[in-house]
Amino acid sequence: MAYGIQDIGRNLLGLGSRSNVLRNDEFWALRNIFFNVKKGETVGIVGPNGSGKTTLLKLLNGIFWPDEGKISLRGRVGALIEVGAGFHPLLTGKENIYVNAAILGMTRNEVNDKFDSIVEFADIGDFIHIPVKYYSSGMFVRLGFAVAIHCNPDILLIDEILAVGDIAFQNKCLNKISNIAEEGGKSIIFVSHDMNAISLLCDRCLLMDKGALILNEKPNEVIEKLSAIFVNEKEDMFSDILQIYFIDDAGRKTSELHCKSGYNLVIDLMDVILEKGLFVAFSFINFENKFSYRLQTDAFKNVKGRLKDKRLSIRFKEFGIPKGYYTIRLAISDGTYINRKYHFEETIYFRVVDSTEAPRFLEAEWSMTD
Amino acid sequence: MIEYLNNMAETLTTYEPDNSLRKGYLLIFAEIFNDIKKNRWLTYQLFKRDFLGLYKQTYMGIMWALVIPIFSVGIFIILNTSGVLSVGNIRAPYPIYAVMGMMFWQLFSGVLISASNSLAGAGPTIVKINFSKKSLVIASLGKSLLSFFIQLVLLVVLFFVYRDTPGFEIILIPVFMLPVLIFALGLGFIFSLLNAILRDIGNILSILATFLMFLTPIFYAKPSEGILSTITQYNILYYLVSVPRDIILLQTTSGLVGFVISSLVSFAILIVCLIVFHLTETRIIERV
Repeated sequence: MAYGIQDIGRNLLGLGSRSNVLRNDEFWALRNIFFNVKKGETVGIVGPNGSGKTTLLKLLNGIFWPDEGKISLRGRVGALIEVGAGFHPLLTGKENIYVNAAILGMTRNEVNDKFDSIVEFADIGDFIHIPVKYYSSGMFVRLGFAVAIHCNPDILLIDEILAVGDIAFQNKCLNKISNIAEEGGKSIIFVSHDMNAISLLCDRCLLMDKGALILNEKPNEVIEKLSAIFVNEKEDMFSDILQIYFIDDAGRKTSELHCKSGYNLVIDLMDVILEKGLFVAFSFINFENKFSYRLQTDAFKNVKGRLKDKRLSIRFKEFGIPKGYYTIRLAISDGTYINRKYHFEETIYFRVVDSTEAPRFLEAEWSMTD
Repeated sequence: MIEYLNNMAETLTTYEPDNSLRKGYLLIFAEIFNDIKKNRWLTYQLFKRDFLGLYKQTYMGIMWALVIPIFSVGIFIILNTSGVLSVGNIRAPYPIYAVMGMMFWQLFSGVLISASNSLAGAGPTIVKINFSKKSLVIASLGKSLLSFFIQLVLLVVLFFVYRDTPGFEIILIPVFMLPVLIFALGLGFIFSLLNAILRDIGNILSILATFLMFLTPIFYAKPSEGILSTITQYNILYYLVSVPRDIILLQTTSGLVGFVISSLVSFAILIVCLIVFHLTETRIIERV
């Protein structure tokens, strides 16, 4: 609060804001970010949560001013950041299109010209004349997105917006975005967790972590180095309770797996308390196709009490799952599978390097040691 | 600081830490003017949205604008005729006197309060999309303006009912209401920023507005002695509300000088507040 007043005072009096110096309790959300985006380039921004991606986008969008440095943008800037910005539930779809378009920076003539195209893209039929509060969430998103995507800016900023809607709609949006990219002359800056989309759409990829720009290269190269960083990040979150990693047959920790090789998935339980019995379930979740492989066991259902320094080993003779990037979702349950005591949506990331023709069953052997 | 350069029909936008003031006041005026001019349609859409949103699900719709004046005036009439309150020496039918005062007062407090809530009530959109915040504030006054004109219709009806013909000056009401509007809008800009970071301000303003309504001679004639009299001498709102009323009802007023001064002060306040808003709006958004 005090800092806010200080800043405002300095602004008003025309004094330099001295914003390049940190005060107590302040930290750099972004630091030393340098990059150029040429006209017609599509740039992806990836990184763990909290790395500053959204803040960077907000700076590019002009919502905050940088405290140090300079940002230059040539052309009109448009944002695919919030779906349905400015929508009022009591207004009809048609009325809301106008409000949303105005907020996103379109002119009246533009909206009138593109109106039919927007309605067609949204694909909600006659519901366009009905108040938005009656829409399903899918319709809401489709309408909001339809307006946003017709903005036709020179620089398009996209923030993880593709995580909404059903698969069909997501594909539609991805297609439209790649059309815009191919048209030429438009630059796109695209923040996402979806590696697949990034590698399909982007000419370059920026990797960010803790406010710093770590890599600025072609998507494939960045994606390769991504796992290493993610692994370090995630471990902090749950390492008091358990640690999880793959070991290859030579005993080395790895996160790059070959489908013909054997691996042990090791879960070290550091400090786990169970009353009724240990039930373990985990899933390998594939980013690209969003499917998953699930494995579970109740072999240890009689194991209970305070488990310290116990090692669960799951042996895979072969790793016959399709190529791609995966994360492991893990649940440790007490007494039944449903009674989940420890649940982690994403633990570590790993990559299966070669492909298989078809998904096969994963055979696993479980064992527990100290 | 934001710079817009037109270069082969493409705008170049630059963001830097130092603020616009470095480039001088003239540029600020130009920026503010361009900002408001560029976003005319957006302002209209925002106003339309708020207006439609407010009245779409009501049965009475815009007629709600009449409810508060009728009730407040009604209460004062009852209190006056039953001798409970003495409203002083008023040389005109009391209902007309009261409604006219109420109209102007409602315009002031309505604009002030809805402007103050315009940023705070905009929700997460304001920190995600970059659109003109001035438009938000300006759009909020539309509703109060519309209410004012509806109450004007009520006033004309009352004139007929009481068989009192107003002076021709009544046509000038749209001009007379400008100073009040400007005053409220200026304050509204400042309070919208303050309320966005300290939500108490919005509540405090509502309470303050009610207080002021009683302390300003709207429902009663200006007292000739006592502390209220002295305060009223310097009360901008007193002049802005009473003088138009005097001119229309009585064709004469003693506060013309005060009115002119108050109008100039209001205009100055608007300019200052607009500049402050323009210079600090981004800083405020950081902390919303």
